[in-house]
Amino acid sequence: MLSLVRSGNEDYGFIQHREDSMKKYLKLWFVMTSRITQIAFVSRFGVIFFTFGKIVRFLFFLFFLVFLVGKTKLVAGYTLWEVILFFLTFNMVDIISQFLFREVYRFRSYIVSGSFDYLLTKPISPLLRSLFGGSDILDLITLFPLIGFLIYTLSRLEAITIIGVFFYILLLTNALIIMLAFHIFVLGLGVLVTEVDNAIWIFRELTALGRIPIAVYREPLSWVLTFIIPVGIMITFPVHAALGVLSFQAIIVAFLISGALLFGSLRFWRYALRHYTSASS
Amino acid sequence: MRLYWQIAKNMWDQAVAYRLSFAIFRLRNLFWILTMYFLWLYVLPQGKVLFGYDQSQILTYILGGAFLSSLIMATRSQDIATEINDGNLSNLLLRPIGFLRYYFARDLGDKAMNIFFSIFELTIVFLILRPNLFLQTNPLLLLLTLIFSLSGTVLFFYFSVLLGFIGFWSTETWGPRFIFYQLLNFLAGTLFPLDIVPKPLYTVISYLPFPYLLYFPMKVYLGQLSTPEIIKGMTVSFAWTIILYVITREVWKRGLRVYTAQGR
Repeated sequence: MLSLVRSGNEDYGFIQHREDSMKKYLKLWFVMTSRITQIAFVSRFGVIFFTFGKIVRFLFFLFFLVFLVGKTKLVAGYTLWEVILFFLTFNMVDIISQFLFREVYRFRSYIVSGSFDYLLTKPISPLLRSLFGGSDILDLITLFPLIGFLIYTLSRLEAITIIGVFFYILLLTNALIIMLAFHIFVLGLGVLVTEVDNAIWIFRELTALGRIPIAVYREPLSWVLTFIIPVGIMITFPVHAALGVLSFQAIIVAFLISGALLFGSLRFWRYALRHYTSASS
Repeated sequence: MRLYWQIAKNMWDQAVAYRLSFAIFRLRNLFWILTMYFLWLYVLPQGKVLFGYDQSQILTYILGGAFLSSLIMATRSQDIATEINDGNLSNLLLRPIGFLRYYFARDLGDKAMNIFFSIFELTIVFLILRPNLFLQTNPLLLLLTLIFSLSGTVLFFYFSVLLGFIGFWSTETWGPRFIFYQLLNFLAGTLFPLDIVPKPLYTVISYLPFPYLLYFPMKVYLGQLSTPEIIKGMTVSFAWTIILYVITREVWKRGLRVYTAQGR
């Protein structure tokens, strides 16, 4: 009974411990990201070409959308700026998750080479280390202009309100929680069957279907993209919230689904860790 | 000839050995095709004409273009830069094999595998979506489509080999290749038919080699080009093939002069 009741001092100690852990992981993330950035900038031309290539890809598709919607006026009932908002929202989710979870792309090599054993012996969470152990600064370079363009696009929408923008940001965060859950699931899959790269790419390509309004796809694909693969929740919901056409119940459902996915992925990760055989080391 | 046939066959076998990875690579490609397919299907309902295309023509362009890209743009020549940087090119130089022919044979093996998967994918798309497609029946136009597709294959090969040759001077070869593919998406007409862009821009693009990789063969197939336009296209495409061949030979010679078999 006594063990269930914590004194004020114990509470303070518990919070202090959490804060120290947080500081430790933030410092670790910063150090590893700095190292990864230094490695990336060893290939300076590569950095320039890669960044330029990404910008070119973005601009070409944007040009195509502007050209197409400019001619048809509406696509699936959306105006040009609304269609652009879909495209930008997809890019935001894609770029931020690539920036944050870049270490997942390197996870397979840790498993295959046996280096994952080394991570398990460290006094840090293997999950956090495998998720955030070095973000890719190259993704961040393209993020800032994208945010600027997103703000401009939001300002061009007639139906925009402060509350709409608030829920847009909230649901964008929710989309990142879904991406987090998926990346945890992929890590678990990597531990069990060493399959990482293909799973990530398939999910990314599926998410990319959301770069245009999902209403464009015919049933049952449209339904699958909304409810089975939560592309609709990740991309369509934030846009609808910004436009003020998303119900409060839908927002609750979006958070329940992301919460369930995160919970499920964490359970799967624990299951995978219990069955890790360290076969490669 | 038998030697190069065997090289192409080896490439096929190599792709079969890693069939899951290959199938997933193709699946990713299919998602992109679906995006463009549904977008055009939505903006161009039956009976409507947009940018000079009706629904059957635009869907044929998208799906036909997807098929042609597996013939024209499938390549293994991205390995050239690694071979140079690792010094493994020396193995090839010591053998009685022509370098360009060796890589072209490898490309053919890779193209065969891509075409096989592409036919499979498009059959499934056709069975499920039942698209309204345009079927060309004019034998001359079909022959010209084949000729332009083969010419596009050769053009793309030279481009890809040239990008690989950057390896003679730099280890950073993936960046230029990445940009090249992004440009190709637009300038070859992978994303949309090029004649929907403003006329002055289209005129400039038509003198570049890129439209002859994908856009032009598909336009010929759709029967949307006049005889003078086809002759002009054939001339420009042929000229670029010669230019790229000369550049490739010259860069190869200069590259060999600076090649040090580093890494061996």
